[in-house]
Amino acid sequence: MSPSRRRTLLLRLAAAVVIVAALAVVLRPRGPKPDRATTATPVSEQPHAGGLLVATVRAEPRSFNRLVTSDLTSLTLSALMHARLVRVNQLTQQLEPWLAERWDTADNLHFVLHLHPDITFSDGTPFTAADVVFTFAALYDPRSNSPLTDAFKIDGKPIEVQAQDDHTVALTFPAPYGPGLRLLDNLPILPRHRLEAALTAGTFHDAWSTTTPPSDITGLGPFMLHAYHPGERVELERNPHYWRIDPHGTRLPYLDRVALEIVPNQSSEIFRLESGQADLVSSELRPDDVPAFRKMAEQGRTKVFDVGTGLDPDFLWFNLRPDGPASGGAGAAEHTDGHTPARPWLARRELRQAVSYAIDRDEFVNTVFLGAGTPIYGPVTQANKEWYANDLPTYPHDVEKARALLATIGLRDSNSDGMLENPDGTPARFTLFTQKGRPLRERAVAFIKEDLRKIGLDVEVSTLEFPALIDRITRGTYDAVYFGAAASDTDPSVNLDFWLSSGAFHVWNPGQPKPATPWEAQIDQLMHQQMQTPDQAERKRLFHDVQRIFATEIPVLYFAAPKVIVATSSRVMNAHPVLLQPEVLWSAETLGIRELAQ
Amino acid sequence: MLMRFLITRVLTTIALVWLAASSMLLLARLGPSLELAERWMGGASPEAIKQERVRLGLDRPWWDQYGEWLGHAVRLDFGMSTRYQRPVPQLVAERAGNTAILTFAALFVATVVGLPLGVIAGSGRPRVVAVSVRAASLVALSLPPLLTSLLLAWFAASTGWFPIGGVSVIGAERLAVVDRLRDALWHLVLPVVALSLPLAASFERLQADAIAETRAEPFILGALARGLSQERVLWRDLWRPALGPVLALYGLAAGHLLSGSLAVELVTSWPGLGRLMFDALGARDLPLAAGCAAAAALFLGVWTTISDLALRVVDPRLREAAPASAPQRAELNA
Repeated sequence: MSPSRRRTLLLRLAAAVVIVAALAVVLRPRGPKPDRATTATPVSEQPHAGGLLVATVRAEPRSFNRLVTSDLTSLTLSALMHARLVRVNQLTQQLEPWLAERWDTADNLHFVLHLHPDITFSDGTPFTAADVVFTFAALYDPRSNSPLTDAFKIDGKPIEVQAQDDHTVALTFPAPYGPGLRLLDNLPILPRHRLEAALTAGTFHDAWSTTTPPSDITGLGPFMLHAYHPGERVELERNPHYWRIDPHGTRLPYLDRVALEIVPNQSSEIFRLESGQADLVSSELRPDDVPAFRKMAEQGRTKVFDVGTGLDPDFLWFNLRPDGPASGGAGAAEHTDGHTPARPWLARRELRQAVSYAIDRDEFVNTVFLGAGTPIYGPVTQANKEWYANDLPTYPHDVEKARALLATIGLRDSNSDGMLENPDGTPARFTLFTQKGRPLRERAVAFIKEDLRKIGLDVEVSTLEFPALIDRITRGTYDAVYFGAAASDTDPSVNLDFWLSSGAFHVWNPGQPKPATPWEAQIDQLMHQQMQTPDQAERKRLFHDVQRIFATEIPVLYFAAPKVIVATSSRVMNAHPVLLQPEVLWSAETLGIRELAQ
Repeated sequence: MLMRFLITRVLTTIALVWLAASSMLLLARLGPSLELAERWMGGASPEAIKQERVRLGLDRPWWDQYGEWLGHAVRLDFGMSTRYQRPVPQLVAERAGNTAILTFAALFVATVVGLPLGVIAGSGRPRVVAVSVRAASLVALSLPPLLTSLLLAWFAASTGWFPIGGVSVIGAERLAVVDRLRDALWHLVLPVVALSLPLAASFERLQADAIAETRAEPFILGALARGLSQERVLWRDLWRPALGPVLALYGLAAGHLLSGSLAVELVTSWPGLGRLMFDALGARDLPLAAGCAAAAALFLGVWTTISDLALRVVDPRLREAAPASAPQRAELNA
């Protein structure tokens, strides 16, 4: 090729590169850009009215009717669009008046709630006691098929609700209930005038679907639905009728708009936050992302909040069902070698204690949470200030003690290969299941496997998709599981299903017709007692006893709780992240957006 | 002849749609339900879970549920999504358009990038460029769309040049038509590049090989012997006869684009059919999973039919021959 032709070709190639690079500049929209800039300096420190906040959620809304959905997106939308009668302040964990400005009770069974008189829905319709009665009717109507119904039953019975006048509601609990009105924190009040026809027609479950025009959806929350772009985002705008006012007399919320971008991939969420294309992401930071965000925070590009030790750590439990692996029954997990003999030691307390001693919790924190965690020994972590007890039995790392405990239940190294065997000479082995696609859980089970190998136990690790894992748990076909559940409140009575032997979430042996062990009977009795007394000090004393029994029997093992670290863009003002989800948007009404100088 | 070809293709497409939808439905039916798992996690009582199982039809044997679905499907009633409580065709239509935009744009980019580069690489001139193109296409071929998407998302986050995901900017509905179009193109760049890279590399490789083979044909040697310039022979005489194998690949590209779009849509938050199908499968939403599979199969069937029709137009030999498979056609053209 001649030099001139070569030059021409190279010039053409260079031109092509320039064109591609110029695409980014040319294609950038010149219309109303979102109010954001990624490399800018703040010009205002005070929250002011206006602005757009962009948050991400991982899944699309399935419905705009909170009573028929229970996923995180619905919870977030509910926090933005609806209000409840009372609120648990997630910063203080105390109950606060909300739609109800005050309440009276003489016996902790009958409550009279006095509603704020001047509240209207986002469409301007006044809020009255009839809306409260309607909401409970919709909640308990079997045709609603609400996933929340059971959580609002006490001893399997509904709460009775009566409107005494337009602004007074009487609630009657079917049985004494220690947490009292805290329960109502999770119930959004819905507009009777919009949904009564659907409830009467039996179509409430399908009302307010994602195709309902936004103007038909009203609420009492700080924001109202503006638009839904399927698969892309939900846009909300300020509710002009919202009743709350800040201490300076400014009507809340501060923000004009909130956009919830639907981003199914967690890495993409983080990219958006890093680049300033989002102000918040749907959950706390992954331990692996924390160093980068701390660095960006030092540069003023983001804000990082150390919220504290998590409230809902993951846990390990063995299958203690009567037909479980201890008996060699149908509940035993099949091993890869097809060997599923009866292993009575799997149901022994000594095994659980040995496992607890075997796990080096400090190293667990370093390996699994990259140092951002706290060793723990029970379900109630230090973050739960009201109910945490620091004088319970603990199991500090001690390999020799663990081995000695295993010897007491017949597990010995009979062939001197360093691993333990059953009395019949077969390897002492169990399968540990966990959730696939959750790196922290996968990392944790790998760590547990290694630490248990050091005491001679052979652990087969198996990861399953979420529905498959839950299917195994509910059918009881497993040896052991490492898993977790998001907390909804700090009060133990809200999690009775876990504590009571009859509970469906009494994971190690659920739904018992009568307690299988004396210690479970004791826990049942103590939990019932603490639930029935309104005396908070007495409740705490009784629950302390529950925790002591639990720490001795350890039907569920806890190793460490992660530190919850939340990041926002540097534009977000007045963020007060909490441990429960939605961590930042729980107080969306007081969030502000800082204007950034270009 | 053409009518027979079309009738065969319509019947094949119907069979493909039925097979894909049925397989998806049955596969999804085999797995445990996400709805029930979420209910259990939410503290629902055993009675409530039982009620939900009945609502989802999981208390019935799979053949009973399949029979009911098939009975409705033949009347073009694809049922309601159990997750979104909406008619399946409505949900699928909402997303299929986005996937079509993404895949056609990726095909266009792969064509305008891959073919000329293939000609350059196949001609071997200039040598430096040809070798660089070959090396680059090898890298692009080995990059799965998931990895490419993540790399591009990281690139977009680092530079801020492109949006990391979505199809439009917030408030796009208030933009003028030209600005909306520009905004849409701006959002297309990242997913289209991720999806088109491996396809462009395939086009380049195939085109380069075809060019190299056709160079030895007597009519090319004759043209060169008559003193025509290398450039003229390359772009006017050599390129067009060497297009056949690439055209045959267009029919197969649909499968590549559909499977690749799933990963790309997930990473770039592109609200397309792949993402909907992923959600439906994860949630074991049987009617929706079957509906998505049916739509994808229909897309595949229509695409390959059009591609084969195009081949018949450009290659007279195919009009006379019985319908052949794509690899056979590639061989025929080469």
